[in-house]
Amino acid sequence: MSKTTAAPQPSRLNVLWHKWRFHLNILLLLIPLGFMPKYFTNAALIRGDTGLGEHEIGEIQVGPWSLRLAELRDEAPRRDGATGHVKAFNAALCDACIEQVKATYLRIGKPRSLRAAGVIFFGTPYRMGASLPVPEKTQADAELWITMEGWDGAMHQAAIPLSQASPATIAWLNKQGGKP
Amino acid sequence: MSNAFRPLCAALLVLCTGFSASAMAHNPMCECKAIDAEQIKCTGGFSDGSSAPGVTLDVIGYDETILLPGKLGADSTLIFKKPAAEFYVLFDAGPGHVVEIDQADIEAP
Repeated sequence: MSKTTAAPQPSRLNVLWHKWRFHLNILLLLIPLGFMPKYFTNAALIRGDTGLGEHEIGEIQVGPWSLRLAELRDEAPRRDGATGHVKAFNAALCDACIEQVKATYLRIGKPRSLRAAGVIFFGTPYRMGASLPVPEKTQADAELWITMEGWDGAMHQAAIPLSQASPATIAWLNKQGGKP
Repeated sequence: MSNAFRPLCAALLVLCTGFSASAMAHNPMCECKAIDAEQIKCTGGFSDGSSAPGVTLDVIGYDETILLPGKLGADSTLIFKKPAAEFYVLFDAGPGHVVEIDQADIEAP
């Protein structure tokens, strides 16, 4: 007597999987392609192919020196843990002052001293970066102070309105409702 | 590469992707609180979670005279007597790595 056993009926899910798994794999390969333009735009911004930053503030004269300043991203300050909110700025020194300038600092409000001149720009003088803390209680009419220190000990300062440097930060501050 | 290492490599790749953002700059941070009517306690550190033992913390008058030169202890804190004159606290982890706290921003006990 022959003994035959019927093959178990495949489940509906199993059938669907076997029918569509090839197409699903193609879809998985296509999904990352959708993010490619954003990725390449971001990579070009970080690399400097699209300029100093998303919002170029322009050339700012600081005593005998000058620098080009830009917001890395045209957006509100980002939260950085317990430090609070920070805003990334990029700067490029003028060709003549690259040899003369030792350090460049950025601060909201006039610095009390060179020691407290704010955050320091780091990186190549053609494209330096700094993360500026933006206190939530900053007034909308605040000024952004640039302090430059020379190798000869000279110090020069300049200020521009924060509204000119970063309209996105002013919009963010206004949205906060002017915390005391 | 042997097949046994493949899952390990995949896991490493995922970990590297996940933690790549932690290579961001670490900003200095400092918090000061009045512990009683006379004393103020300041705690320093960095935004990446690292502590700041031995980092300079000076109490400076509005006229820029250093009223109390100090360094944070092993627990990244410093307790000092509130000066009579107007002052601000400067956590100084090096040029461009400073935090200023004005006396008006120090929390009452």
